[in-house]
Amino acid sequence: MSATVPRREGTDWRVVRAMLRRDLGAIVRSKALLLPMLFLPTVLLVLLPLSIGLAANGKTVRVERALELLPERLVAPVLSHPPDERLIILVLGYLVAPLFLIVPLMVSAVTASDTFAGEKERRTLETLLHLPIRDRDLYLSKLLGGFLPATIVSWVGFVLYAVLANIICWPVMGRIFLPTWKWTILIFWVAPAVAALGLGVMVRVSTRVDTTQEAQQLGGAVVLPLVMLAVGQTTGLLLTGPIVSIVAGAVVWAIAAFLNLRGAKAFTRDRMGSRL
Amino acid sequence: MSTRSVRCEGLTKSFEGEPALDGLTIDVRPGEVLALLGPNGAGKTTTMRLLNGVLTPDLGTATVLGLDPWAQGTELRRRTGVLTENAGLDERFTALENLVTTAELRGMDRSAARVRAGELLERFGMGHRADARVQGFSTGQRKRVALARALLHDPELLYLDEPTSGLDPAATRDVVELIASLTAERGRTVVLCTHFLGEAGKLASRMAVLFQGRLHAFGTPDQLAADLWSDTEVRLDVGGPASTELLVALAAVEPVVQAVPTDDGALVRVRSADVTPSLVRACVAAGVDVHAVTPRARTLEDVYFEVEARAQAQGTDDGLGARPVAT
Ligand SMILES: Nc1ncnc2c1ncn2[C@@H]1O[C@H](COP(=O)(O)OP(=O)(O)OP(=O)(O)O)[C@@H](O)[C@H]1O
Ligand SMILES: [Mg+2]
Repeated sequence: MSATVPRREGTDWRVVRAMLRRDLGAIVRSKALLLPMLFLPTVLLVLLPLSIGLAANGKTVRVERALELLPERLVAPVLSHPPDERLIILVLGYLVAPLFLIVPLMVSAVTASDTFAGEKERRTLETLLHLPIRDRDLYLSKLLGGFLPATIVSWVGFVLYAVLANIICWPVMGRIFLPTWKWTILIFWVAPAVAALGLGVMVRVSTRVDTTQEAQQLGGAVVLPLVMLAVGQTTGLLLTGPIVSIVAGAVVWAIAAFLNLRGAKAFTRDRMGSRL
Repeated sequence: MSTRSVRCEGLTKSFEGEPALDGLTIDVRPGEVLALLGPNGAGKTTTMRLLNGVLTPDLGTATVLGLDPWAQGTELRRRTGVLTENAGLDERFTALENLVTTAELRGMDRSAARVRAGELLERFGMGHRADARVQGFSTGQRKRVALARALLHDPELLYLDEPTSGLDPAATRDVVELIASLTAERGRTVVLCTHFLGEAGKLASRMAVLFQGRLHAFGTPDQLAADLWSDTEVRLDVGGPASTELLVALAAVEPVVQAVPTDDGALVRVRSADVTPSLVRACVAAGVDVHAVTPRARTLEDVYFEVEARAQAQGTDDGLGARPVAT
């Protein structure tokens, strides 16, 4: 046996790109994946602002009663707006925010659960393991295969949302009220971090179960608390200063990086090959 | 550099405490077809996975194409091609797409991959279905596509796991011819797992017989036959049962162990196969006409079943499994 030490080589991006092209191409063709990925964002990010905007346009909806139920911290910034604008500011400016963390989490959960468990289910995993792709690159490409669609959907969704919200609410607002700086940080810094965090769990789960369904069930059990956490904290982030959001995002990124590195370390060909 | 394409020693692998392969030591010469034989669950597929670096052994060493399959697995897999037991095609894609994506994952250029994939599909009689989704393909059609995929990068060493199972007779013949030409004309090396002994006999120069994870025989069918049986049989046709005088005369011929009468002559057990002239001389001397002398050749099939029967017997004897037949 030759006494060669495995060389620590860089990522083979050509292979990673090829894998992404294959997997993303498959998502686009698979109704089972594409529909849940597009349905939720459409409802949450397009139909919701549409209906709120139209409601606010029709007549002045009194939100003061509803505000009594909300924490003081949220009430003050809403009340600082003229009564006509309050419904829009409350719902579209604050309450909707958690959705922008939930959407990438859901999308990445769908794609990530399909990664290794999906390969196993389709019986394509063995062929994949016999290819000259390093373990790290294989893991990385599956991770990116979950991360990219989630991020793309949430960013495209946000742009659509902002454009729609501004157009529909123009009669009442008379100005472009979205995005604000805090929203920008939330969407482009915090949301991808949350998606990466979810993936740190989901991809690893996907390596350990045999079917996509199992991965979704098991992964869902882990991701759901994250969703709750997101719902609880996102609006809060918008109420505090941008520094807090940046720091919170950094913390989530750090945890995500830790989980994903551990996942990549635990991922070996032998382990995958033993579960064929 | 090694004079062997594959060399492994003491390869051992367990799954959850259950041994799947136990101390496998074999080698494969460049340009050779080695048949890996054995009943279901013998450890053939596990061996292929180990030798391509997909699984890591609990014990043992190997050198494949001069590389360490575990430390240099990526490099090795660039030079090997694998046909897995189930075709492993992605049903969501067409035949051509399956090949092209694999080629790209192997680092091939997309346009070059398309050309090569098209040629191979044509060669395997799947040109007309190149743009059809794999979903509707029959077992045999899938196997053809998977075989084409294994050859995309013109590998030096091929691991073929049951390449002809599910193929119709014509396709089987094509595949057998293809494997023969890959080794004879292109000098490729093949490790062939199969349950079809005829096919193994046609293609393989040597065979390795596994039984419950252990190697029970390794060598050419002739070598193995010589080790398994100390004598062979020759059927002598003299147009009627042999007389006692003839039997005595036959028994007196040097390598003859025993001669028993049959309906049309005698069955003669001999220690070496090239005894025919002496037998004929003995008959002529006894005034008997010889109609036919047929040495009963041991086929790969005979060898296989004998090895398996002995392995089974030994396995039940001591529960420890058997020593391999040394060659
Ligand atoms: N991933 C695995 N997990 C658990 N057991 C395994 C695994 N892979 C193989 N085995 C066991 O190891 C033994 C050898 O299996 P292997 O697939 O190598 O046999 P084989 O010779 O290829 O059989 P077949 O002719 O049926 O294909 C079997 O007992 C099998 O159950
Ligand atoms: Mg097998």
